Amino acid sequence: MGLVPNLAVVAAHPRLLNLIGSLCVGGVAAAMALGLPALDRALPAERRPPADRPYLVGAGVRLLPPEGALLDLTATRPGPRAGAVRFQLGAVRIVVVAGPFSGDLAAAERRLRRKITARRGVQVTGPQAPTSTDAGVPGLSGGYASPGRIGRFQVFLHRGIAVEITVSGAESDLGAVIDRVDASARSLAFRTGR
Amino acid sequence: MSIEPDPPAAIGPNATVDIGPRQISNVGLARSARSAPVRPAPPGLDLGNPLLLPAFWLTIILMGLGAAKVGGVLHEAGQRHPTATAAAIIMFAIYAVPFWSLLGALDYLEREPPALTATAFAWGCLVATALALDAGTALHDIIAKTISPAFAVEWGPALAGAAVEEVAKLLGILVIVLIAREHINSVLDGFVYGALVGLGFQIVENMIYATSAVALAGRGDQIDPVVTTFLLRGFLAGLWSHTLFSGLAGLGVGYFVVRTQRSRPTRIAMIGLALLGAWACHALWNSPFWADGFGQGPLGILVVLVLKGSPALGMILLVVWSAHSREAAYYLHQLDALGDRHVITPDELRALGSGRLRAQARRRASARAGHRAARAVRGLQTAQARLAVALSRAAVAGPESTQADADVSHCHREVLLRRARLEELGHPEATAGNVSAVLPRMAIATAVGLVALAAIWAAIQAIGPA
Repeated sequence: MGLVPNLAVVAAHPRLLNLIGSLCVGGVAAAMALGLPALDRALPAERRPPADRPYLVGAGVRLLPPEGALLDLTATRPGPRAGAVRFQLGAVRIVVVAGPFSGDLAAAERRLRRKITARRGVQVTGPQAPTSTDAGVPGLSGGYASPGRIGRFQVFLHRGIAVEITVSGAESDLGAVIDRVDASARSLAFRTGR
Repeated sequence: MSIEPDPPAAIGPNATVDIGPRQISNVGLARSARSAPVRPAPPGLDLGNPLLLPAFWLTIILMGLGAAKVGGVLHEAGQRHPTATAAAIIMFAIYAVPFWSLLGALDYLEREPPALTATAFAWGCLVATALALDAGTALHDIIAKTISPAFAVEWGPALAGAAVEEVAKLLGILVIVLIAREHINSVLDGFVYGALVGLGFQIVENMIYATSAVALAGRGDQIDPVVTTFLLRGFLAGLWSHTLFSGLAGLGVGYFVVRTQRSRPTRIAMIGLALLGAWACHALWNSPFWADGFGQGPLGILVVLVLKGSPALGMILLVVWSAHSREAAYYLHQLDALGDRHVITPDELRALGSGRLRAQARRRASARAGHRAARAVRGLQTAQARLAVALSRAAVAGPESTQADADVSHCHREVLLRRARLEELGHPEATAGNVSAVLPRMAIATAVGLVALAAIWAAIQAIGPA
């Protein structure tokens, strides 16, 4: 019943109307800038992936998740042409990125090195070494370091699809899980029929 | 050629202006003021003292926060890839110029104050972009967590991205209403402010996309990913992008402000409908439909881009054309009702309502009497537009308004001075002459546009994906 007189009062005071309108606009902006991120943070970001089934990274590339790893849902972007997945194994982070690449394996390795060293304070340590998947797809691997963390990288190239795997964590943490990460990398499978 | 004076006798530039209050009050009343497509502002309107408005301070605060966020993103990109980041900023800043000019031509008759157009553009650049960066990422992650990462990748940009971005931009149009409601005089004004918010958003978003493409390419500080992004997002996707979507939302806001004869729920529903339309166009564009180009490779993808974008472009341009025509008819009627061929002739009336014909009239003057005549035609057209606006404001203010009388007299004198100048130059009438029919020109423009799209696509293929 009191709504109509209240509206009339508001309409008669333009500055009050302006204040109410501004509060509405500010409220929506705050809900977007603060409310949605808060809701996002309130939801768990990690989920345990099925350990016995290859997980789709993207671009037709799959791999078995490292044993005991959790899938980071917020940094996982599987797509038909390219994709990425991030696993968390205790304090160790594993990022797998797959996508089209027109150069050779050495060029793919150089590109990954540049991406790694573009991050502040990160240096590649030593030369690369050959590696391969269980299916025989050749790759190159190497190491890098930043203050307080070390990392390893592997890159594979098969029929125009490059897969980059980077693993980083504290030295003691990484040493404890590196075998499981390597086993996961060796399980890489590329889509056939390309 | 000279213009035959209508009775009473010719009015010279220094003569007393014969537009009295009674005549003013009758001008513009050919249709009910309540149903007119234009809601004229009071005479002598300026922005007043914005310091007293809460909306002004809200805008200042949000722009400061947005500038910090967007500036931080570009600063970080600039530290990693200074040349590529500078190239992205320069290329997309230049890219904004033709869009801004086009909106200026659309807004020719009743110009929006530069302070307000700059505010709308800055909201898009700073506030809407910053809001979309935070909220878009959060909503994408929420979808990934609650449904699946694959669904978020496939449908996140269409459902969440489009919704967040369209709402963030709509807030900018609403802020303009809160700061200067009286300056939204027609549905078209709503489109102009909405399009400017969208243009600002489009420019900064593209800069961020371009710098991200450089980082993703992993080839160091190279500008070819910037060029590819510029061609792809600027041209192939630029025609049916944020400028257009937000313009559509702005049409709804314009309707809300101007169509006061409708009930408030109806007008609010129109804002919702326009926002829904903007979101639908945006969502269709971002949707994964036919993403593989019907399996026909690059050519198929190019066809899909056109198929997804052109319906929105066509529909929105049709609505804008209708709103523009109604606004132009309203203002031209103000001049026509004077019945004074020294103020405007029937052929000039026809030219004044269309950006293309105004330009044609200037070209014709240049060809017949030189560049000075072209400049004089521009001056006359500007003066005629200002007089039309002054007359419309006077009609609303009523016969007692001395401010309205003064404005009309001043603008009328300006028109007569410009006319005298044209007569001195031997080109007394600012007409467009014969122009080609609309349909053949549209067909030619469409064909040229498609060829240009194909050429840009070929260029992108040659450069390689970013």
